[in-house]
Amino acid sequence: MNRLCDSMEPRVMDDDMLKLAVGEQGPQEEAGQLAKQEGILFKDVLSLQLDFQNILRIDNLWQFENLRKLQLDNNIIERIEGLENLTHLVWLDLSFNNIEAIEGLDTLVNLEDLSLFSNRISKIDSLDALVKLQVLSLGNNQIGNMMNIIYLRRFKCLRTLSLSGNPISEAEDYRMFICAYLPDLVYLDFQRIDDHVAKLAETKHQYSIDELKHRENLQQARLEDEKAQREELEKHKDAFVELLNGSFLFDSMYAEDVEGNKLSYLPSVGELLEAYKDKFVIICLNVFEYGMKQQEKRKTELDTFNECVHEAIQENQQEGRRKIAKFEEKYLLGLSAIREESELPNVKKMIMECSEDITELSNTLMTLEMQLVEQLEEAINMFERNITDLVGSFIENVQSLMAQCRDLENHHHEKLLEISINTLEKILKGDLDEDLPDDVRALFVDKDTVVNAVGASHDIHLLKIDNREDELVTRINSWCTHLIDKVHRDEIMRNRKRVKEINQYIDHIQSELDNLEWGDILD
Amino acid sequence: MEVLREMVEEEEVAEREEAAESIKWNEKVEKMVRPLEMRKEETTLTQETLRDLEKKLSEIEIPTPAERLVFTTDTIDISNLPLSYKTNTPKEEHLLQVAGNFSRQYSHLCPDRVPLFLNPLNECEVPKFVSTTIRPTLMPYPDLYNWDSCAQFVSDFLTMVPLPDPLKPPSYLFSSTTVLKYQKGNCFDFSTLLCSMLIGAGYDAYCVNGYGSQDLCLMDLTWEVCPLTVKPKERVKQKEKALPKKYTIKPPRDLSSRFEQEQEITKQQEMRAQEERRLREEEERLLEAEKAKPDPLHGLRVHCWVLVLLGKREVPESFFIDPFTARSYSTQDDHFLGIESLWNHKNYWINMQDCWNCCKDLVFDLGDPMRWEYMLLGTDKPYLSLTEVNDEDDAENLGKEDEDKSFDMPSSWVDQIEISPEAFETRCPNGKKVIQYRRAKLEKWAPYLNGNGLVGRLTTYEDLECTKILEIKEWYQNREDMLELRQIQKGTGLNTDYFKPGHPQALRVHSYKSLQPEMDRTMEFYETARVDGLIKREETPRTMTEYYQGRPDFLFYRHVDFGPRVKKVALSSTESNPRPLVKITERFSRNLAKPADEDVAERVFLIAEERIQLRYHCRDDHITASKREFLQRMEVDSKGNKIIMTPDMCTSFEVEPMEHTKKLLYQYETMMHLKAEEKLARHQVWESEQEVLETLKLREEEEEAHTLAISIYDTKRNEKSKEYREAMERVMHEEHLRQMEAQLDYLAPFLAQLPPGEKLTRWQVMHLKDECLSDFKQRLIDKANHIQARFEKEIQELQKKQQWYQENQVALTAEDESMYLSYCSQTMFRIRILEQRLNRHKELARLKYLALEEKLYKHPRLAEYLKAST
Repeated sequence: MNRLCDSMEPRVMDDDMLKLAVGEQGPQEEAGQLAKQEGILFKDVLSLQLDFQNILRIDNLWQFENLRKLQLDNNIIERIEGLENLTHLVWLDLSFNNIEAIEGLDTLVNLEDLSLFSNRISKIDSLDALVKLQVLSLGNNQIGNMMNIIYLRRFKCLRTLSLSGNPISEAEDYRMFICAYLPDLVYLDFQRIDDHVAKLAETKHQYSIDELKHRENLQQARLEDEKAQREELEKHKDAFVELLNGSFLFDSMYAEDVEGNKLSYLPSVGELLEAYKDKFVIICLNVFEYGMKQQEKRKTELDTFNECVHEAIQENQQEGRRKIAKFEEKYLLGLSAIREESELPNVKKMIMECSEDITELSNTLMTLEMQLVEQLEEAINMFERNITDLVGSFIENVQSLMAQCRDLENHHHEKLLEISINTLEKILKGDLDEDLPDDVRALFVDKDTVVNAVGASHDIHLLKIDNREDELVTRINSWCTHLIDKVHRDEIMRNRKRVKEINQYIDHIQSELDNLEWGDILD
Repeated sequence: MEVLREMVEEEEVAEREEAAESIKWNEKVEKMVRPLEMRKEETTLTQETLRDLEKKLSEIEIPTPAERLVFTTDTIDISNLPLSYKTNTPKEEHLLQVAGNFSRQYSHLCPDRVPLFLNPLNECEVPKFVSTTIRPTLMPYPDLYNWDSCAQFVSDFLTMVPLPDPLKPPSYLFSSTTVLKYQKGNCFDFSTLLCSMLIGAGYDAYCVNGYGSQDLCLMDLTWEVCPLTVKPKERVKQKEKALPKKYTIKPPRDLSSRFEQEQEITKQQEMRAQEERRLREEEERLLEAEKAKPDPLHGLRVHCWVLVLLGKREVPESFFIDPFTARSYSTQDDHFLGIESLWNHKNYWINMQDCWNCCKDLVFDLGDPMRWEYMLLGTDKPYLSLTEVNDEDDAENLGKEDEDKSFDMPSSWVDQIEISPEAFETRCPNGKKVIQYRRAKLEKWAPYLNGNGLVGRLTTYEDLECTKILEIKEWYQNREDMLELRQIQKGTGLNTDYFKPGHPQALRVHSYKSLQPEMDRTMEFYETARVDGLIKREETPRTMTEYYQGRPDFLFYRHVDFGPRVKKVALSSTESNPRPLVKITERFSRNLAKPADEDVAERVFLIAEERIQLRYHCRDDHITASKREFLQRMEVDSKGNKIIMTPDMCTSFEVEPMEHTKKLLYQYETMMHLKAEEKLARHQVWESEQEVLETLKLREEEEEAHTLAISIYDTKRNEKSKEYREAMERVMHEEHLRQMEAQLDYLAPFLAQLPPGEKLTRWQVMHLKDECLSDFKQRLIDKANHIQARFEKEIQELQKKQQWYQENQVALTAEDESMYLSYCSQTMFRIRILEQRLNRHKELARLKYLALEEKLYKHPRLAEYLKAST
């Protein structure tokens, strides 16, 4: 911190500095000459050392995509920044700088060794992304709170830690505390933790650690639960029947229905509603189960298809490889024969033969590929037909079940209307026994109001049911189209890739042969 | 026949006694009454017929055949046999009577059948019933727990002696102990021993007296194919054809002519049929030629073998065992032509079924009295419900079993059958046995009999006369070099050695024509025992191919081509002239940690051409693989500078061209790496060659030495343990001697001065005592003086040293000073010890002196005088 070079002008990390460093640290001797001749691309550099450069700001490092090791120690850096692109970084040294807070490390998921020795850090945090962290050096900083240690418990791979020179290291049971809370640690402050101390520490802090562990376990369990629930819902969504295994739909029907809720206060509507709900939920469950079953069916269909296509492609590839291997054997023999042959006419004849072989190979491979394309086309068409049929029948069945829901709703509506009108009559006559809330009583002024209210409730319900049905149908249809599109696209991609590969190979061999010819003529 | 008559006479005498006895039984068994009367009638009948028969028989004079028994009673020493061998217990006597009666009735009812083999004489000329000769014994060897190993043991252990008369059962049946002692026997002896062992091991086994084919009776295996040469039939694995899945692609249309295919197939079939016919004819011709002349005594030759019935010991089906060859046969086999009777240690059954069709139609349900007539009723075979016959029929036919009802078979008269471990290990008589098979000869030896561990040799011949050797197989045991089997093919001269795990070079199989290096050979290894994971190394004069498994560098194949050896005239050392390497090919399996484009599949070092070829692995979805070829020629450019790397030094084909691989730097680095690898590969090839040489040398040495390994548990053969035991004995002996010495007379040196044997006078005794005591006193004083002298000497030296130290203290180095200090402390220690010793000696001297005096007073030779004196 109090450095001699403090007086010097801070330097900027510009291209020249980086180039110089790369050139100096790159390959040496013969390889160095080659490297100089060609120049080194920044993205090929694996390790970079930039110490004692009086750097104030980390910059211009975005090109070093494949950097594994970066040393920026003994500079005057104040913030950790500009390292977002260096995702392959394993080793990062930022010691002897002026950093005040840990930040900007969220993308460095591969980091194993981090040194922040001799900085001005007062709090350990923002390291969550560093799941592979093994070595952490935080000595000579300003960490004053013991609770920072607990944060380090999440790094399961952490084996080496240095914290000496911090205010906390002066605490009485500093070592004990760390040993107890970080039981997997092997080295602390450059010393091996011996088993005896570890055991002692564990017994000393056992209660608090047990409590901590308990809390952690609880949290873990909760997270897992949530995750399982999410996965379950995801599965249902894949089957397009999410939230149908209960009364969710029914509840949602009444959620926005003000009149319906009001009307439920009428005598005997409660029981009616109860019965209606039961029936409705049963139908929903039917839809749900049917949906899950269909999903299973579709999945097996898709799996079989994929498997078969994979097998076919594999077989075809094997055949292709065999053909190429056979060709190469012959071709290599031919090449060496040509090299040894001295008479020009003979050479020409042999070269001709070789070219013929190449053409033949090209034809064979292309034929194979075309054959596969045809075969796959047939299989894909069949699959398309089947999957469309499956989806169609699924939609049809769901629609018929939904129609049952609608029937139920209609039925319920009629009953409700009847009860409402009866109630109205009674109110008008003035011989209603029960007490009704005021806002409900307000509905029963004349027939139109009552009918409107009931009708509005009915409309809302129908709308909800229709919406759910529409959503299901749209989603499954889009899934189906996507799937089929993808299958076709994949096949086309595969075909193009293979044709390209074959052409490339044939071109290469042909050019090799041509080169040979040329060379021979030169001789 | 003589025996039979004697037996008949005996029967008559016994008859009356039996009748008397049967009255006694009558009281016990009420049911007896009726059958008894009936039986009496029958006996008269039998007696008449018997007399008749007797008369007839006496007229017939049978010329006794020339004595060719090798194993007779004369050769057996019967003096040491136990009493049960020489006499019959009353129970046995009774059994003999019952048997005689049974035999009489049988011959009466079935006059056209040969007499039964019931009670032959044993080695002491005492008639014994056959069932009592069986002595069920479970052998203490785990090897002898199963029938096949038991049978093999019996057939190996005994030498076969043919029957005196091949058409009659022998008149003698020796005990199994005698048979084992002399290691000889006929088929009856064999069967009795085997049956005893099998019953002891829990099998339901029976001795069978019947008729066998000539080969069987004479133990002639020359028509049999050796079981060791029969190759196990390869199981044709039926490939399970997976059901075509829903979307399995259709195969491309077949555009070839079906007609032509059919034509081709029919043509091939014709060819095959012709070939087959030819082969069959050949076979038949051979068979015809091989077939021996029909045996004139076919169906009359008496044989004895063992029947094992299903049920016990999880035997799924009844079968026969021929005791001579230890082979098992099905009960329908052609070799067995008929059964007279069978017996175990409990009962005796006569076969009542017709044997016109050999043994093929026989039913071995011993509980069925229509098929098997039993002698004693106490059979444990249950009656079959379907063959239950009404009592009248039974009584009419053979009503004799009734009085036998409460009669048990007496226990065996034979001594415990014992086989000593030595005899068990030696197995064959003198440890050697030769069996001649058809086109094969099998020789067996006991382990450790041959110095090179040879235990078996199978010689296969090309022709029937056994003159042209086709192949020799030799089995070894207990070899220190773990050699297990050697196969020598005479035709090709190819030797193949098979090793058990544990050879120093982890050798498994070694096939070679000669032990000279650089010849055709194949070595296979136990790859888990080798660090380099080598499985196999094949060599020809010009190549070497190695196969590996489970290496961390994924190498699985290395092929080396050698060039012709360059002749070096001037250089004298021929050894260091390796063949020049032309080409090294290495193949690697896929390393999944690397992408396919960077994972080398094949590496070819063309050393002569200074070229390196690389072929990479194929990506999963590709059919072509990347290739790279390096030309490592050192070139110099026009200015005389060395060219490090030029683009034309490396030609590469890449499936998916990548940027960094185009760079010269990358290529340069790869090439440098490959150069190092090439060096390494060459070194490894050299090492392999060295190893081959070493192995060959080792093999040669092992062949020379052929030492045998001896188990540490083998107390007889293991020299080390023997030595140890002897040493232990010696130590014990010495200990004993020392004890003797301890009791030596301490007065002996003094007594020796006196004339020996004379009685001591009182004066002499007193003198002796004083002398002894004074001597002891002197010794004590001497000892004290000695210690004193040592003590003083040490002190003097210490003083001297101290003086020297004080004088030279200034000039001393630190080292000297420390030496001085350590010397001082050591000397002080010694002085202290000496002081302690002296004090202790002073204390003890008095006591010791008194103790001796007392001892002298108690000495037997002095006591009386000394007592008198006090």
